[in-house]
Amino acid sequence: MDPRNPLLLLFLAIPALISLSFATSPSADDLVAELETLRAQSPSGVIHLDDRAVSRFLTSTPVPRPYSLIIFFDASQLRSKPDLHLTQLRSEFALVSSSFTDHHASSPAASLRVFFCDIEFQESQASFSLFGVTALPHVRYVGPHHHSPRDSESMDQSGFSRLAESMAEFVEAKTKLPVGPIVRPPPISPRQIAFLAVALLISAPFLIKRILEGDTMLHDRRFWMALAVFVYFFSVAGTMHNIIRKMPMFLQDRNDPDRLIFFYQGSGMQLGAEGFAVGFLYTIVGLIVAFATHVLVRLRNTTAQRGVMLVVMLVAFWAVKKVIHLDNWKTGYSVHAFWPTSWR
Amino acid sequence: MMAIAEAKGASALRNAFGGILGVFILLLIGIFAFSIRLFSVIKYESVIHEFDPYFNYRVTQYLTNNGIYDFWNWFDDRTWYPLGRAIGGTVYPGLTLTAGSMWWLLNSLNIPLSVETVCVFTAPIFSANAAWATYLLTKEVKGTGAGLTAAALLAMVPSYISRSVAGSYDNEAVAIFALILTFYFYVKTLNSGSLFYATLNALSYFYMVCSWGGYTFIINLIPMHVLLCIVTGRYSSRLYIAYAPLVVLGTLLASLVPVVGFNTVMTSEHFSSFLVFVIIHMVALVYYIKGILSPKMFKVAMTLAVTIGLTVCCAVIAIFIASVASSPTKGWSGRSLSLLDPTYASKYIPIIASVSEHQPPTWPLYFVDINVLAFLVPAGIIACFSPLSDASSFMILYLAISAYFSGVMVRLMLVLAPAACVMSGIALSEAFDVFTRSIKFQAGDINSESSIAQNDVSNVDSNATTDKSETVSKEPSRKNHEKEKEQEIVKKVTSKSQNGKKLLVLPQEVSAVVILLLIALGGFYVGHCVWTTATAYSAPAIVLKSYTPDGLRVFDDFREAYAWLQHNTDVDDKVASWWDYGYQITAMANRTVIVDNNTWNNTHIATVGAAVSSPEKAAWEIFNSLDVKYVLVVFGGLVGYPSDDIDKFIWMVRIAGGVFPHIREQDYLRDGRYHIDAHATPTMLNCLMYKLSYYRFVETEAEGFDKVRRTEIGNKKFELTHFEEAFTTEHWMVRIYKLKLPKNRIQGKLKNKSSSETYSSNQTRARNTRRNPWQ
Repeated sequence: MDPRNPLLLLFLAIPALISLSFATSPSADDLVAELETLRAQSPSGVIHLDDRAVSRFLTSTPVPRPYSLIIFFDASQLRSKPDLHLTQLRSEFALVSSSFTDHHASSPAASLRVFFCDIEFQESQASFSLFGVTALPHVRYVGPHHHSPRDSESMDQSGFSRLAESMAEFVEAKTKLPVGPIVRPPPISPRQIAFLAVALLISAPFLIKRILEGDTMLHDRRFWMALAVFVYFFSVAGTMHNIIRKMPMFLQDRNDPDRLIFFYQGSGMQLGAEGFAVGFLYTIVGLIVAFATHVLVRLRNTTAQRGVMLVVMLVAFWAVKKVIHLDNWKTGYSVHAFWPTSWR
Repeated sequence: MMAIAEAKGASALRNAFGGILGVFILLLIGIFAFSIRLFSVIKYESVIHEFDPYFNYRVTQYLTNNGIYDFWNWFDDRTWYPLGRAIGGTVYPGLTLTAGSMWWLLNSLNIPLSVETVCVFTAPIFSANAAWATYLLTKEVKGTGAGLTAAALLAMVPSYISRSVAGSYDNEAVAIFALILTFYFYVKTLNSGSLFYATLNALSYFYMVCSWGGYTFIINLIPMHVLLCIVTGRYSSRLYIAYAPLVVLGTLLASLVPVVGFNTVMTSEHFSSFLVFVIIHMVALVYYIKGILSPKMFKVAMTLAVTIGLTVCCAVIAIFIASVASSPTKGWSGRSLSLLDPTYASKYIPIIASVSEHQPPTWPLYFVDINVLAFLVPAGIIACFSPLSDASSFMILYLAISAYFSGVMVRLMLVLAPAACVMSGIALSEAFDVFTRSIKFQAGDINSESSIAQNDVSNVDSNATTDKSETVSKEPSRKNHEKEKEQEIVKKVTSKSQNGKKLLVLPQEVSAVVILLLIALGGFYVGHCVWTTATAYSAPAIVLKSYTPDGLRVFDDFREAYAWLQHNTDVDDKVASWWDYGYQITAMANRTVIVDNNTWNNTHIATVGAAVSSPEKAAWEIFNSLDVKYVLVVFGGLVGYPSDDIDKFIWMVRIAGGVFPHIREQDYLRDGRYHIDAHATPTMLNCLMYKLSYYRFVETEAEGFDKVRRTEIGNKKFELTHFEEAFTTEHWMVRIYKLKLPKNRIQGKLKNKSSSETYSSNQTRARNTRRNPWQ
């Protein structure tokens, strides 16, 4: 999906092109032709811009330009921040671009003079300041009549939560051109579906036979036991919370970037690793009790029983104590009994 | 012979003694379950709590005053003005009818209790019932000991207490009892194969449908269990008897409840039960044919049946898909959808996502709500697998499903709690069983040991021989489950003492330590439950208390405001507030409200949201078009009451924005954050909610410092143009404003000519450009 790799070659090509045509100021048609070539070379039709390309296609061309640009501002150093969703938004942007190109493939060239571009922060810091972009994610529309990049219109921040759909709306509103249906690649390709269907068809008779004979994994109680305990672990670990809220596994300490924070204080929120740790503690105690009552009693050797029991008791005691301690620390409450006043 | 007879007599005596002890323990559990819920009455007063209970209380009052027929036909014009609400057809009547008939019974016995008292104590009474139902259910699964333990655990499980303290007069209070009872009857039918219990099962299901929308949990869980049994090859006639009558009778009875009605056959929540109903009939037919045909013939018939079955299945599925696909939400209600796809609600339905009890819980919540049960449940799961019966597989399924759902919504922790109690009860009782046995059979003195063992062995032998055929065949049809359980244990004991002369035991001293540890764990549980009940779950939310260095402070502002409304406004005046306070205003002030906690009409709620997020003039127009005379806002900035309207305001904007596109959340946020201080956006500072909350706030001792948000407010000095302050309670927690009357048309024009008073000029302009906000 990432169009950057084939574009590496392109970076080399652009300066060459620019230097070739520097002698004479390029005509509008030349620029359009150049942009079209660049677009054709990128798989999703998103053109990668750098500072020189920005000056060539935007700042040094006379207004009105015969084309308009929709620019996605990207920063590779911020891609690791999960709350910005830059990677996802970038691929959604590519989707809008390819949908737009597909929709207008057969229409006259004039409607195709909308070009989707992206700029990377580290290599084009000058362009970022030229546009006055300080926060990401950011999408800009530069129309034919915008004199300076600062005049261009930016997309509403709230729109990013709706991904490609709202970007398409933004493009349609600014360019007055329909984007067309957004074609998302299906999660599994048709070939894979066909393969799965064939595999299922072939295995169906065997499966049915085994079900009728009562000889499948479904008939193994250990499978169900593991599944039930896992579902329980999954829930008490608060995993649904982590999925719905998209919580990270751990945080970086702001004061000391080398330190990682695994436990978050405050009961309304939890981190991923924290949930799994406590879920594990919750589950382990029950498993120990079950182990002692169902497995250990069958052991013949009394000394071994004694030894294992000792270890197991210590572990269980530690786990319960740890959870109580963590809970008191996290919520700030500490449970106490109510004694008669005369006892104090 | 004599010895055996003697032993029999002794064991009968012991059983009788055990029975009486069991009844006594159950009685104590009931009393405990009732009394632990009285903290709220002792610490505060005998008062109805929170929001929804006030509505239920009002309905119960209507029922007792006007009778059952008027109740069914009741159209309430005091709420959702101007739409109104047909109460009889939109309310789950179980709770109201229960409390109403309790009141009626007490009155006919010449015990003159007020309706309010009955309502306050309904929940504790039904908690005791729920504890007993838990005993029955667990007894069916794993025997008496586990039953008693589970009942004791349920009596004080904090999750359930949070919904059933005295005064918490809500559907869940009786619904959890109905839920457990339905499961008990289902398991009982499964164990006994008796049609009598199958009928009772359908009836208790009917009671559950009457009581709570959560009945869909039952009607999906039981089919799932049936399907599981069929798939794992556990089909039996008992399964058929347990399931088929429930679907037929249960669905017929459920459709008698007006609020459910034809939903029982129209919505997707119920389809799984019908699908399984078809499947179980097909399976029953297959088993029947298998019984009457020779194996060879059966194979031929099987192929035929599978072919026909598949075609029928395809047809049914096609119809199903066609009917489901025609509805926009695919036939599922928003709440159910957010269970299947947990991220659904936060994306599409702000009104569901906004409710705090619909949030996914974090791990400390499990520790608060089921406490040490969280540790014991896995042991219970494993105990249920050894040996696996129909009943124990049902409990495992119940636990797994409810555990998953509780992970999606905090609210469903309530459904998990009984399952966790049953599982922990089983685990604890098994653990105690093993460890006490270890101590008992290794007690130092060999003589006493042998005599005890002898006693048990002989006792067992007699039983084992008589019922051997039954136990050996392992046919799970258990007419007398209890006896068999006993036999199983005893049989284990005999076989061991005969074969290896060694019981399934652990070293004695270690067992003693473990028992002490388990008792300590139980003690911690009791301590935790009492502490949580006393401190966290007993607050009625209508009266607030806080402990300051100066001593106890009581905030009774809500009732002060409602009393003011009742005494100082006209009986037909309309009061606008955010929906949280709708039920309380109608119940306590007896005034008409625009929206209330029954959030059935999102557009209407969004209209109120749009009004409070608009500037004063636009808000006045919206409110005026709804005939509103008074606007009530809740403000906690002076005393630090955190869940006030400013706190909820972002949801009002969000909900309004979902219907009215000109309200944009973006306008109220600066840098993606929500401010009321100097960084606040102009839209925020000019919206009605800000103005009504902070009007004259600078004149108080706080001088414009909001204690909840811990910041100085952005705009301190401003005047109201279209509203006037009518009443503010002692601690400023409730503020009531009156809409100013529109100025007389001619007078306004003249005034406008002569003077340039802001208000009248505004008003005139408003009239010139006045338009219906609904258009």
